[in-house]
Amino acid sequence: MIPSAHGIPREEKIISTRNLKFTYEGGVQALQGLNLDIRSGDYVAIVGGNGSGKTTLAKALNGLLKPTSGTVMVNGMPTSELKVAEIAKVVGYAFQNPDHQLFCSSVEDEVRFGPLNLGYPEQEVRQKVERAIEAMNLGQLRALAPLSLRLGERRRVSIASVIAMDPQVLILDEPTTGLDAGESLELMNSLKRLNAEGKTIILITHDMKVVAEHARRVIVMANGRMILDSDSRGVFSDLAILGESNLEPPPVVRLAHRLAKHGIPHDVMSVEELVFQLLRSRGGG
Amino acid sequence: MGGFIDLYTEADTFLHRMDPRVKIVAVLLLSLLAFILSHLYLLLALLTFIFLLLFLARATISRTAFALKFVLRFMVLIIILWPIFDPTGTPVLASLGPIKITEPAVWRGVTSAARVGCLATVWYILMFTTSQRDLVRALVKMGVRFDFGLTLAISLRFLPTFGALIDSIKDAQRARGLELSKGGLLKRSKNYVAVLVPTIVSALRTADTLSLALQSRAYGARADRTYLRDLNMRPSDYVALAVLAAILVLPAFAKFVMQVDI
Amino acid sequence: MSAQGSNWGNSGAAGKPANYVSPKIVAVYGVLTALTAAITYASYTPFSPTKGYFNLGDSMVFFSALAFGWRAGAICGGIGSAAADILLGSGIYAPITLVAKGAEGLVAGVIGRMKGGKAWAVALGIGAGGACMITTYFLGEWLLLDVGLGKAIAEIPINIAQVVLGGTIGALLSYYVKKSYPSLTKT
Repeated sequence: MIPSAHGIPREEKIISTRNLKFTYEGGVQALQGLNLDIRSGDYVAIVGGNGSGKTTLAKALNGLLKPTSGTVMVNGMPTSELKVAEIAKVVGYAFQNPDHQLFCSSVEDEVRFGPLNLGYPEQEVRQKVERAIEAMNLGQLRALAPLSLRLGERRRVSIASVIAMDPQVLILDEPTTGLDAGESLELMNSLKRLNAEGKTIILITHDMKVVAEHARRVIVMANGRMILDSDSRGVFSDLAILGESNLEPPPVVRLAHRLAKHGIPHDVMSVEELVFQLLRSRGGG
Repeated sequence: MGGFIDLYTEADTFLHRMDPRVKIVAVLLLSLLAFILSHLYLLLALLTFIFLLLFLARATISRTAFALKFVLRFMVLIIILWPIFDPTGTPVLASLGPIKITEPAVWRGVTSAARVGCLATVWYILMFTTSQRDLVRALVKMGVRFDFGLTLAISLRFLPTFGALIDSIKDAQRARGLELSKGGLLKRSKNYVAVLVPTIVSALRTADTLSLALQSRAYGARADRTYLRDLNMRPSDYVALAVLAAILVLPAFAKFVMQVDI
Repeated sequence: MSAQGSNWGNSGAAGKPANYVSPKIVAVYGVLTALTAAITYASYTPFSPTKGYFNLGDSMVFFSALAFGWRAGAICGGIGSAAADILLGSGIYAPITLVAKGAEGLVAGVIGRMKGGKAWAVALGIGAGGACMITTYFLGEWLLLDVGLGKAIAEIPINIAQVVLGGTIGALLSYYVKKSYPSLTKT
């Protein structure tokens, strides 16, 4: 049995999968029977090495891929009976490469594209666009051509274009890849605010530093299976399971583990925590 | 759409071993032959010969089926439409207003369909048994300039890449509520712009990087560049070439010199 | 050993630089050819029962011609479209397609870029290029492949739709890409 982060179902389930399997046309079994519940307000990181099935899972959650067998339910409806455009109202998906989504001649037009496709009335579209532009801090770039911006800005535009559809769940595929530390921090802070406002966030990543600092729940994938579903502290106390999925925990976590015999606990996740524990053990010793 | 289809199937048959230049010539000669022959049974014989070669090349049914389906529908359409537009000859089999279906027209339609069948399937002999790399090398050997050959090789190399890119971009836009298969031609075409712009921009960026890579690997530094693997005609290739020439020349001689109706 | 020109010190007497087109052209033409084939393939929509098929390949032929000139239009349009035919299992069309789409790209490139590519020139170029394509297919099917007048005529309306839609989209794409990414369309 996979340990669950939330013993009691405290909030409503938005997405749930039952025995979800997916096999690609060539015969590659990318998902091999997943049972997973995403609850409203979650901040989940799906981690795993390349080819572990995490992107396939994300595409199954928003209906781009329909299950080969088993079910994915979004708000109680199976995705196999819904159109991607319908699911997009509930589950938004920002692709890894923002350049795959951007094509308009201004940031504002780009952000409008989604809500217009979903057929919202003009007034509502305008509101949603304003909120999305504000959430991703794009006010000053709104008239510029998206593809002429820097990567960090392009990624924020592509995320804004998804937020503008006002989905309950936001899936982000490798949002910090290629960003410098400042851009990455700015983006993660925006996501934190969105989560605080009630949006459910699903991060797909192998950036373990981002996971340690932001996610509350971590799902570890390997070979198309979930090998762990736990709160983030639980994940970092078990280095073996990360190794199994070709992941490397951040240096501070590895350092803490090496210092275990000196009394440092296993679940240290940040530099601040390690400093605190070191000072405490010195003071105590 | 499930990725791109490269008909080339790895195997070790005499057609796979044959020099690709001979196979290119074979496709050209057999196509010419299909135009020379005008009798249905001779065209059917040619069609059988082509299928025999495909069979010997171990072309599997499932891979051929995709391609053959198109050819078959094409042939059926010719057989149906030909007699409607060709009222010449007797006896008249049926007539409806201005439309007259005559027996010779029906046979002409079937003959044309058989010829089309030959012209379409003869390509598969080459495509099933020749890798893209060998194809480009053969063209360069046959006198195509190296830079043209390289351009062709690059485009073949990037075809599957761009196929996957388009798939990914389609998915990305579908996730934004775009419905590509909805609406009439006009709406669909307009929706496609959301796929085409990112595709073209990504592809042109690839071209930018690629041209730097070509320069840094000394493209064009020397006219007398060498190749790692060269093509060499073996005795069996000359035999094949001779047989092909005979297959073409004999009917051509019979038809144009001896005025035999074939 | 001479150190003149672009020779390297040890390149030997025969090592004179090849008279090839620039690497930029090789890369761009290769990519445009692949794009033409890929987009033709990806946007392929078969219509039954006439079994004509509709695709947006023409938009790439026009884009190549208008954004990169008649050479790109002719080479990338012709070869890319012919390659798509072979991939789609209709290799029989490939030789006709090579000529038809090559001529389309060539004519659209020559006329469409006159006077710096004014709107009327673009429209005229697309019309003239499209007419070449439609005529080539018609004559090729009727006279060369000898498929009968009926089949050859059945193709015309679909080809007209392809020129109108493909031309509009191709012109828009070329305008947009040239404006937004001037650096990408220089060869």
